[in-house]
Amino acid sequence: MKSITIKSPQFINSQTGRELYENVQRHEKEKIEQIIFDLENTEKMDTLGCAWLLRIAEECKKREISFLWTGANKNVSEMLEVVSPAFEYREVEKKRIENFVIRFLYQTDKFLDEVKDFLNLCVDAIYWTILAPLSGKKFRWELFIEEIYEMGVRAVRIVCLMNFLLGLIIAMLSSAQVASFGLSIYVANLIMIGFARELAAIMTATVVSARTGAAIAAEISTMKVQEEIDALRGMGINVTQYLVAPKMLALLIVLPCLSILGLVFGLLGGSAWGILVLEFNPSVWFRQTVNSAYFEDLLQGMLKTFVFAVFIVLIGCHNGFRVSGGSRGVGLMTTRAVVMDVFMLIAVDIVFATIFYYLI
Amino acid sequence: MSQEVILKVESLQVQYGERIVLQDVSFDVYRKEIFLIIGGSGCGKTTLLKSICGLLKPTIGNVFIQGQNITSMDEEELQKIQQNIGIAFQSSGLINSITVGENVALPLREYGLVDSEIIDEIVRIKLSLVGLAGVENRMPEELSGGMKKRAGLARALALDPPLVFFDEPSAGLDPIIACELDELIMNLRKILGITFIIVSHELESIKKIADRVLMLDEGHAIFCGSMEEVKYTSIDKVKQFFERRPNEQRYSFAYH
Repeated sequence: MKSITIKSPQFINSQTGRELYENVQRHEKEKIEQIIFDLENTEKMDTLGCAWLLRIAEECKKREISFLWTGANKNVSEMLEVVSPAFEYREVEKKRIENFVIRFLYQTDKFLDEVKDFLNLCVDAIYWTILAPLSGKKFRWELFIEEIYEMGVRAVRIVCLMNFLLGLIIAMLSSAQVASFGLSIYVANLIMIGFARELAAIMTATVVSARTGAAIAAEISTMKVQEEIDALRGMGINVTQYLVAPKMLALLIVLPCLSILGLVFGLLGGSAWGILVLEFNPSVWFRQTVNSAYFEDLLQGMLKTFVFAVFIVLIGCHNGFRVSGGSRGVGLMTTRAVVMDVFMLIAVDIVFATIFYYLI
Repeated sequence: MSQEVILKVESLQVQYGERIVLQDVSFDVYRKEIFLIIGGSGCGKTTLLKSICGLLKPTIGNVFIQGQNITSMDEEELQKIQQNIGIAFQSSGLINSITVGENVALPLREYGLVDSEIIDEIVRIKLSLVGLAGVENRMPEELSGGMKKRAGLARALALDPPLVFFDEPSAGLDPIIACELDELIMNLRKILGITFIIVSHELESIKKIADRVLMLDEGHAIFCGSMEEVKYTSIDKVKQFFERRPNEQRYSFAYH
């Protein structure tokens, strides 16, 4: 057996440790079976020196060389004893699922699990929001009032502003197209129909999902991380009844109201362009607007706000309840909730558009 | 034990708005000693710890770490000093989005003071030092409370600081784990020669590990001395604390 002995320095630190490592590296091409470190001269060793020794040990393991030390004094022995687990044990990194089929099945199973959770929450939330209060069960009215203020009153300004600006933009862009045909007055019709059917509801729901949906996800996931949800469950309190139901009822009332406000401000935005830039007489513009308002259009717009409200709350809560990890998990779930909200808005919208296209 | 002063606090006062939390606190900490800051809940222990490690600027007074006054330093100078101290927090302060190993490697990578090629080995050594060999790839959420505190301590030790601050090491731990943590602190002092400044109100732990204690009461330092001196002190509040005697006035309703 070919063995080499390396004399170690008086103090093994970052610098001398590296020198030892380089010394071992110099013997790379030789067929060595054993390296012995003679620590007789070593009086002291710091943790960086230990790290270099560990590096040498790893290198030896790779090259199938046995690595030993000898002659350590009391101080160095104590140090080596404490850090010895690092020499013996290295945690294997978690294995990833490599097989495509297994990965696909695993992901499908996870997805189905999530769908099941979502449907459970859905049924639970509808029961505790609508049926349970009607049958005289407890409902947190004080939280409901707070949520009305938080989700509704505090969102009024941003909803009005966004819809006003959108109305202005639509009027501006469409008037440029129809002006050459002398049909500028029909911009009023376009704004009315567009906002009544689509834009007021979609724009308002987008603002609300970004504000309220994200807030719900962040609030519930933080509660979950801090074990507040477990505490509620531990007290025998139904979490859906306690947390979800007041939010859902509040948003069911608030979102249609905000959408009506959004519609009014969208029309005002369009009118601002029609009256101030296109120079229509206000009475002509408003008559045109009112004459183009149909109940079916308003119904289409208003009906979907209720569905949007239900989904915004459910998606926020669902993602909140599914959080894992700490602060990072909260951030991820909040982002996920907003992305799911936006996707859901478009999906629900297309369903409504299709139904109304064929039915009415 | 060395009589070289590693930390000196002079007439420290900390105020939150109108409320004075610490008043006229002065003491010295010697190299390689385990110095405990003790006292009842809300007496200003954690505020004092934060003030002396530079996380909180005191209203009045000076704090010298290895002879340098940190209270008059700007942010950049303070950061240099903080590279030479370790802080372990009550709730561990581990960053949840990265692995335990990455947490320990964080100061090593950020400051770039060590060879980047042996950072992995340093991390494994530090985790071994605190009895956590092999957990480097785990996420903090996978660790128990005691393990988290150890991992927090490993991160505090990453840059081999001569001075480590530890806030409530035993809080929330079962007696066996708390005892193990006490052993660990004493072992680290012995092997690495680290000076520990620890905030605690766990009597068992205090009696076991403290070389000297500073007792705070309503923001005032009412006692500073060795555990031997504690036995002979005439200060009633110190005796009451060590004898675990409840405040009679506070609980007088129980006797009516």
